[in-house]
Amino acid sequence: MRINTSRTELVALVSVGLIVLGLPAAALGYQYWLRPATAPTHVIDIDLRVPQDGGFAPEAITVTMGEPVTLRFASLDVTHGIAIGPGLGVDLGHVDPGQVKEITLTFDHPGTYTYYCNAWCSPDHWRMRGTLQVIDPDNPGFVPPAQSDPMIQALIVEGVDIDAKHEEGHGHDDDPALEITRPLSAQHGADLLDSVTLPDEVIDPLWRRSHAPTQALELLGTANPQMTQADLIDVVAYLWTADTAPETILNAQVLYNKNCAACHGQYGGGDGPAADTTAENPVIFADPAFMFEMRSDVLYAKIRRGGMGTDMPNFGTLFTQEETWALVEYLWTLPVQLANQGEE
Amino acid sequence: MQQLLENRPRLIGLPVLALMLVVWLIPPPGATHATTHEISLDATQYEYAPGRVHVNQGDRVVITLTAADVVHGFYLDGYGLERRVEPGVSQQITFTADKAGKFRYRCSVSCGPLHPFMIGELVVESNTPYWRATGLVLVAVGGMLAYLWLTGKNKSYQEVISGK
Repeated sequence: MRINTSRTELVALVSVGLIVLGLPAAALGYQYWLRPATAPTHVIDIDLRVPQDGGFAPEAITVTMGEPVTLRFASLDVTHGIAIGPGLGVDLGHVDPGQVKEITLTFDHPGTYTYYCNAWCSPDHWRMRGTLQVIDPDNPGFVPPAQSDPMIQALIVEGVDIDAKHEEGHGHDDDPALEITRPLSAQHGADLLDSVTLPDEVIDPLWRRSHAPTQALELLGTANPQMTQADLIDVVAYLWTADTAPETILNAQVLYNKNCAACHGQYGGGDGPAADTTAENPVIFADPAFMFEMRSDVLYAKIRRGGMGTDMPNFGTLFTQEETWALVEYLWTLPVQLANQGEE
Repeated sequence: MQQLLENRPRLIGLPVLALMLVVWLIPPPGATHATTHEISLDATQYEYAPGRVHVNQGDRVVITLTAADVVHGFYLDGYGLERRVEPGVSQQITFTADKAGKFRYRCSVSCGPLHPFMIGELVVESNTPYWRATGLVLVAVGGMLAYLWLTGKNKSYQEVISGK
C-alpha cells in the first residue's frame, strides 16, 4: 500500500499547529474576550502587591457612569485590606493571598475615587492607592473640578500654617507649658459644670472647633477665679468630648485602627509598630499637653492634607469630611477619660 | 531513742509513712493556686517573640498579640484558638491552660514566602504526679535502708563501717 506521505504530513502539521496555537488562543480568548464580552457587568481584575513590588495593578481605572462595574481584588503576596472612598462606604476587609474579593458598583455621576489598602502591609503601605475615575459617556473629557474645602480655606485666610510645629503656630511661645498633673477626667468636669461660669465663646461648638483648649482655659480662668486650674482642665476636657455620639466614636475608632494606629499607636501613644519608619516621630494624641495646644480644625486639615514633612499621608482623597471630623472627635477621646455616656 | 528503734525496728515505718503522706498530699510550692501569665507575643516575618512560652497546667494565660510588619495570625494547636492581628491593633487572647503538653502556635494568615515556618511553642507543664511518685519511691527506699540497718540484716556492711 502506498501512502501519500506529503498529504499525511500536511494533516499532521495542521493538527499540531491547531494544538500548539489554537489551545492558548482559545484559553486566552475566553479569558480576555469571550468572558468580558458575555459578563453581565464590566469586570476589572486588580492585582495587589506591596508597593515596593508595584502596588496595585492597574493603579488607575476608568469606568463609565451608569454601567455596573465589578472590581475583583486578588492579593499576590501578603494580606492587604481594600476600601474605596470617599463616601462610598466600601470596605471589603482583608484580602489574603490566594483570595479574591469582589464588589459590583454602579456610579451615577462622574467623579474621582480612591481604592486603597487599609491593612499595614509593608513600610510603604501608605503609598498603596489607586485611582478610580468615573466618566460621563456623553462628555468623556469632563473631570469634576476638585472642591476646595471651606475649612482649610478658612485656615489659609486666617493665616494658620498647618505645616508649622504647633508650638510656633498660635503665638503661645511665651506661655509657660501647661502643667497637667492628673489624668483628664471628663466625668469630673461634668460634675463641676453647675459650679462653673461658662463664657459664651466656650459654649459655642464652632468656637471650640477653631480654638485650642488652652484658649478656653484662659477664658474659664478669668471667669472663674475661684476654681483651681486642674478642675478647669477637666471642665475643658468634658466640653471637648461631650458632643460626640457613641456610634460616631465607634465608627471613627474603626477608621483610626485601620489607617492611623500603625504609626500613631492604638491608644494614641505615638508608638505603633511603624512609628520608627517615618521622617518624624508620630505625634502623641494621648499626651494632654500636646492636645491642649491643638485646634480641632487644624487636626482636621492635617488629616485631610497630610504632608508637613513628617511622612503623614493625606487622607482627604479617602475620607469624607464627616469621617474626618469623626476622626478628630475620636482623637480628643484619646487623652481624656470619658464621662459615663449613660449619665447625660 | 536509738535503743528503742534497735529493739523494735518496725517503728521506723511510722516516720517514713508520715513522710510519704506529706510528699503525696502537700502541694508543691507555687502550684497552690493557678497564676495568671501575661505574655506579650510579637509577630514578625517569620517568627514569634517569644518563640517558646512556659506555663503550668491550670494557669490562666493572657496573650497580648501584636504584629510588627504585616498582618499575621495566631493559631494554637490543641486549644483551637485562632486570631488575626493587624499591625497597630493588638489582640488579647485569654484562655486557661487546662491541657498539659507541648502545643505549637503558628501563623494562620499567609504572611510571605516563609510563612509555613512561622511557628512557636506553648509548653504546659503539669507532671506533678511524676515528681510525687519519684519522691515516694525515694522516701520508701530510704525507709527500707534504715530498717535493714536497724535490724542488722546488712551486718557485713555495718561491721565495715563501725570497724569491728
